[in-house]
Amino acid sequence: MGNKQTIFTDEQLDAYQDCTFFTRKEILRLHGRYHELAPHLVPMDYTNDPDVKIPLALIVNMPELKENPFRDRIVESFSEDGHGNLSFNDFVDMFSVLSEMAPRELKAIYAFKIYDFNVDNYICKEDLEKTLNKLTKEELTPEEVNLVCEKAIEEADLDGDNKLSFADFENMISRAPDFLSTFHIRI
Amino acid sequence: MRRMSVFPQHGTALGNLGLTANEIRQETENNTSELISDLVNLSARARFQAIRSLPMPFNEKKAIRNRVNSVKLSKTILAADCRQQVSRSFRRFRASLASARQHLIIWQDTLKGIGSRFGTSVLSYFLFLKWLLKFNLFSLIVNFCFITIPQIVHEPNISSITGFRGLELLTGVGYFNQTVLFYGGYNGEVIVSKPTYNMQLAYFFTIAAYLVLCGVSLLYSMSRSFQKNFVLETGPVSGGAWRLLCSWDFSVVNEKAIQYNKNNLAIQLKESLSERLQEKNQMSLSDRIKRLSLHLLAWLLSLGLAVGSGAGIYFLGTNQELAFSSNHDPSDLGAEASTLLLPVVVSLINLIVPLLYSLISKIESYSNPRAMIYISIVRNVILKMSILGILCFYWLDSVPEKTSCWESFVGQSVYRLLIIDFIFCLLGIFFGEFLRNVIGTMCIQTLGVPEFDIARNVLDLIYAQTLAWIGIYFSPLLPVMQVLKLFIIFYLKKISLSMNCQPPKHTGRAAQIQTVFIALLFFPSFVGALSMVAFTVWSLKPSDQCGPFQGLDTPFHTIFSWTDSLPEYHWVGWIFENILRSELFYYLISLIVLVITYFLWQITQGRKQLIKTLREQIVNEGKDKAFLLNKLKNLQKERREMASYRSQDYDQTPYFNPNWMNTLPLDM
Repeated sequence: MGNKQTIFTDEQLDAYQDCTFFTRKEILRLHGRYHELAPHLVPMDYTNDPDVKIPLALIVNMPELKENPFRDRIVESFSEDGHGNLSFNDFVDMFSVLSEMAPRELKAIYAFKIYDFNVDNYICKEDLEKTLNKLTKEELTPEEVNLVCEKAIEEADLDGDNKLSFADFENMISRAPDFLSTFHIRI
Repeated sequence: MRRMSVFPQHGTALGNLGLTANEIRQETENNTSELISDLVNLSARARFQAIRSLPMPFNEKKAIRNRVNSVKLSKTILAADCRQQVSRSFRRFRASLASARQHLIIWQDTLKGIGSRFGTSVLSYFLFLKWLLKFNLFSLIVNFCFITIPQIVHEPNISSITGFRGLELLTGVGYFNQTVLFYGGYNGEVIVSKPTYNMQLAYFFTIAAYLVLCGVSLLYSMSRSFQKNFVLETGPVSGGAWRLLCSWDFSVVNEKAIQYNKNNLAIQLKESLSERLQEKNQMSLSDRIKRLSLHLLAWLLSLGLAVGSGAGIYFLGTNQELAFSSNHDPSDLGAEASTLLLPVVVSLINLIVPLLYSLISKIESYSNPRAMIYISIVRNVILKMSILGILCFYWLDSVPEKTSCWESFVGQSVYRLLIIDFIFCLLGIFFGEFLRNVIGTMCIQTLGVPEFDIARNVLDLIYAQTLAWIGIYFSPLLPVMQVLKLFIIFYLKKISLSMNCQPPKHTGRAAQIQTVFIALLFFPSFVGALSMVAFTVWSLKPSDQCGPFQGLDTPFHTIFSWTDSLPEYHWVGWIFENILRSELFYYLISLIVLVITYFLWQITQGRKQLIKTLREQIVNEGKDKAFLLNKLKNLQKERREMASYRSQDYDQTPYFNPNWMNTLPLDM
């Protein structure tokens, strides 16, 4: 009903509906939000799949991400080049994973990517320290930071290699039922 | 389903093994084909859910989806176009249904705003309120359609003894006495119309069906919530790792709220660090005895307060209300207003005693803050349920003999309790939050802004809902008031929250506390209300002059007279006589349920054992990995030493990455 929009073809909207957790209306709304981030860059007509990417600096100005301590890492994890330049597909993908309908396993995978600052597929002690500093800034002394990170690795590391692999992370997530509701950004 | 490699790094993992580009492509192509054949074999709904849950960028997901669709198409017999059209339109229809449902959800934007400023634990209070609102709306619609409308249509002349005075809104007597608001306004005639409509049966079955549906819905929510949130805790869970990695609330968007959460997190981390240091000093025996005796004292005080309040309410009730009911002088406003004394006293007790409880808990010292929250919840629940229990006992025990039309009387008492509770809630918002905020920020700076106490607010909601459930039998239109009340409270609390309060400090484990609240709504609250209504229906004699069950021994006898009136060997009558009324049936059912419970419990034990074994296996594999890595390093060293003797022959040696095992896909 009401196929008056000319932004996407019907096949494109079907593909978006099949591959993400959003409905047609929400996809169109997301396109509106994407467009207003960089009106001169983003065309209103997406029927021929233009290759447009918005740089990191513009995306982290969104009100949903502006104050988030992990905004840079979130955008980088969903970009194809790893530097935070998101095409519209990546943009939709990002909010689809962060929406409330995404299953726990999918969210755990991307949460792991976000916390893995040096992108080596492990959350090592430096990654934890960076996470902690983003979350608390000047409140904790360096010794306290060190202690907390050591304690965290001690608790969660199952196979004894002093860093958290994805299996350790997922095991910890499975014992935190709040994760589904806290790892969630509404748009 | 076979999980796709978690980190498909475009073949770089395999590149380190020294494979050529072609072999890498072949390997990833094999993985993809296996994935597609798995997906094709699923049902349509599961397939789309699986595609959506793939951890790949959008373009790859789209490619996989297109390939799956083409494989599916090639397998069908119908013309490709036709089937594609049908499935596409079907999916579009389902999607438009989903978006239409979105429109029906009330308060969507408001809840999003609250969640983004205060976090998920405060949001859970408002979601609970919305859920209770749904129960009451449903009850209202059902009662109105099946009971009230036939009554109004059939007997429109309501004889009012007095005109409408303002006091009725508070006390519920007088003008409201003979209206359809209360039990007394209904009569149990069989309405003679095309299909005869038996008012007695309608009243009985409507209320019974509503209560049964409520019970089923509560059980379902409780079990779902329990399954999601009470996971096996076989390790230290309230520690640093969880707090660091899983507890940050991404949905909070407001700058001040984020700063507040950051401060809280830092405080909690410091607390847990200092706790860890403290744990190392063991407590001496005398310290432990002292703590235990303080706990005992606190419990004795709390229980004493609860029992005392119950006794006080009972004596007040027996003295006050009966004095009013025996001389029904409608123009005596003073006596009528004095019936408000009991509800006011009840609400005052509900207000003051929890404050006393929190004072008492300050003298105790707890090992962790979660225990403190749970114990205070238990004490408050005991207080509220004992008050309600005493009131029910008084209503069911002393009132029926002494008053005519006692069901209306009980309905009016419940109505008064609910209204006064609402007024006190409004006063509480004003004094408890607004004034406290003013005092805390202007006069006494150290008090600070009040915290939004989720537990107390939710328990108030549960208390009001219990009253509403008790009152449904005695006053079928009571849900009207409850619906209005919940609506107003939602908006007032929201305003008060944004103006006056700050989010609670200890936010951990919100999901578990949610489950506890749902369980509390089921166990003392719903079950208590249900047992009271069931007792009334089963064993008490209904009043002779008013109500739909006049002249029967118990309201339950309507079923007997109905089954007697059915033709012989009618299947309903047969089921009723031989199954529902025979004890053997219930014995058999209980036995079967017990056996199934034991069986499931054994399965749980087995699974716990399995988890333990799997954990040990993970630890062992880690040790194996370390061992093999060491061996590799040694081998590589030897190889390099050997290669340094021969110069040109081994230019083509693939570089051996000692960390090659780490870069393998994880499901190997």
